[in-house]
Amino acid sequence: MKKLDIVLAGQANVGKSVIFNHLTGLHQHIGNWPGKTIEKAEGNLFYKGYSFHILDLPGIYSLTSYSAEELISREYIILQEPDLIINVTDATNLERNLLFTLQLLELEKPLVLALNMMDLAKKKGIEIDVKELGKILGVPIAETVASRRYGLTEVLDHAIELQTKKPVFKGFKYGKEVESRIEKLTGILQGSDLTYPVRWLSIKLLEKDEKVEKILQEIHPEIIETAEKLCAELEEIHGHDSSILMADERCHLVSHIIKNAVKIIKPQKKSFNEKLDDITSDKVFGYPVMLIILVMMFLAIFTFGNWLSSRMDLVTDKLQNWWETSVDPSLFTSLAFAALESTLALVQLALPYILPFYILLYFLEDGGYLARISFLTDHVMHKVGVHGKACIPLFLGFGCNVPACLAARIMETERERFITGFLTTLVPCSAVTVIIIGLTGKYLGIGWAFGLYVFAILVVFLMGRLATKIIPGEATELIMMMPDYKRPQLRTIFLQTWFRLKEFIWIAAPLVIISGIIIEGIYAAGWLSSIANGLYPLTVKWLGLPVMTGIVLIFGILRKELILVMLVTLYGTNDFSQILSPVQMITLALVCMFYIPCIATIAALWKEFGWKKALGISVIEISFAVLIAGLAARILKAFL
Amino acid sequence: MFITEMKEGQGGTIVSVLGGRMAVKRLADLGLTPGTQFKVLRKIRPYGPIEIEARGSNIVLGRGIALKIQIETK
Repeated sequence: MKKLDIVLAGQANVGKSVIFNHLTGLHQHIGNWPGKTIEKAEGNLFYKGYSFHILDLPGIYSLTSYSAEELISREYIILQEPDLIINVTDATNLERNLLFTLQLLELEKPLVLALNMMDLAKKKGIEIDVKELGKILGVPIAETVASRRYGLTEVLDHAIELQTKKPVFKGFKYGKEVESRIEKLTGILQGSDLTYPVRWLSIKLLEKDEKVEKILQEIHPEIIETAEKLCAELEEIHGHDSSILMADERCHLVSHIIKNAVKIIKPQKKSFNEKLDDITSDKVFGYPVMLIILVMMFLAIFTFGNWLSSRMDLVTDKLQNWWETSVDPSLFTSLAFAALESTLALVQLALPYILPFYILLYFLEDGGYLARISFLTDHVMHKVGVHGKACIPLFLGFGCNVPACLAARIMETERERFITGFLTTLVPCSAVTVIIIGLTGKYLGIGWAFGLYVFAILVVFLMGRLATKIIPGEATELIMMMPDYKRPQLRTIFLQTWFRLKEFIWIAAPLVIISGIIIEGIYAAGWLSSIANGLYPLTVKWLGLPVMTGIVLIFGILRKELILVMLVTLYGTNDFSQILSPVQMITLALVCMFYIPCIATIAALWKEFGWKKALGISVIEISFAVLIAGLAARILKAFL
Repeated sequence: MFITEMKEGQGGTIVSVLGGRMAVKRLADLGLTPGTQFKVLRKIRPYGPIEIEARGSNIVLGRGIALKIQIETK
């Protein structure tokens, strides 16, 4: 079977991943690029006797060396030599999309252009002369409506066709002043043994691309000087930095193409999208609407979650009873049961809470609402030290810190990703919420629970400010495309949910199960009470808690829900007012809120940012929790 | 004049961007280069972002970046 290596390239929100999902279905693998917190999605497909390997590049807007995503993408296209590029574009935003297409064409690889969202374009009164556009660009074009799977086979047919037909690279001519300087540079580079296309290198030299300068420094040291001189000449003529000038030239080229191939008849009436935006992005109405949507989402998740979780409890109890009556107790069986119990605990977290959370989140994302949330919350997020996009991972954190931490990938720079990831671990997740409500809310009144919640959010703010001060680097500003609202596609939502859930289980399961076995081992060896006694100075002396809480807090690392369950088991009562004084309840709740990201979150941090940072965050949060709870215990004693 | 001083519904042309290379690059990626015409769609006052329409797309600009975009009004 003939193999075809294909990359999907395109800007964010053009339906690239929808196309990827339709093409590869469940045959995909999502991982990270080596050493980077950037997602790498690959998949396979068989069509007309070909085996397609498809790689979905990150959604990017250009091919400079400023961001890791862009560097990875261009290096992959040039160095890994895929057979062709499928450039997915949004027909409703063709002008902006073609800016990127031109840069892809400069890489001189065979390319198929997918004009996606053609149905929406027609609705918006955008008429694209596809034949003319194909002639100008010199590439085959397929009109697609990815959400309805329309036109996808055409894309593949074009891809196969391109294998037999050698494409001719037309190369776009920039303005005279620029073009003559490109020629000078290509003249020098011609004939040398370079992996990169010569014209592309020349263009990048005029854009002052540092990576390209570095490559050429070794082979052609003299060309750097020539390029600098040429850039200076261009800047003299135009009064802008030569990199801006090149971007500007590209904008002109694209405007010209648009003029020849696209006609826009703007409808007089306000579109549905505009009307909806008038409410949902409004500086006044936008906020109550957002609040209602978020509150409803949480209510739905917790109602469903609590119902399913209690159902699953029954099953776990039955299983435990059966195990206790029919399996001979021994060290081995109790360790095996610990492994089984940890696995079940994980499923009990994933199915009732994380699953519906993901479904609703992707529903909002696919429909386009998440971008509105970023718009509405940008200025608040700035107070934390990050921008509007961070709202999404932080918001996810209220459900579960693990997906939240993974969602920090949507931030632009490594620095922002780390700060956001760190902050998500401080957000009170559903398990912490259970503790806050079950302990302080139930026995001290809802006011205390609410107060603790507000305090948690305050800590996120303060830690955010602190982290942005300490961690070197510049804060990036929000610059974001606002996608149109569209009808969410169930298939996309379910596929996304499925892959995220799988990812969550893969990350969390090993550590959860292993630590479950270890803790059971410690218990079986009879060390638990000595550990509890060892923690005496901390738990009793500093925090003023009963000595048994040492054990509970160790189990809590596995899963913070276990904290209350364990207290019940250890003391044989579910009336916490008999075990803990009001001050102790608040102290314990405070420790639980901050003391360590649970083991699954540590795993996620490890995967995203490396073990050093994961360890660092854990140590910082334990110290912080102990400090703050100890202080609170002393202060509260004076009042309660 | 800067983009932050514009009213909702007002149109203008970008004159220059007084930012670092990264900011300039990110704007250029979206087609926001000097000479580009645009319209302000909505603003979140007083410190929030601004949504504009340019080259057929809607783009949200954080206030920090908007403060660096010098414009001319029509």
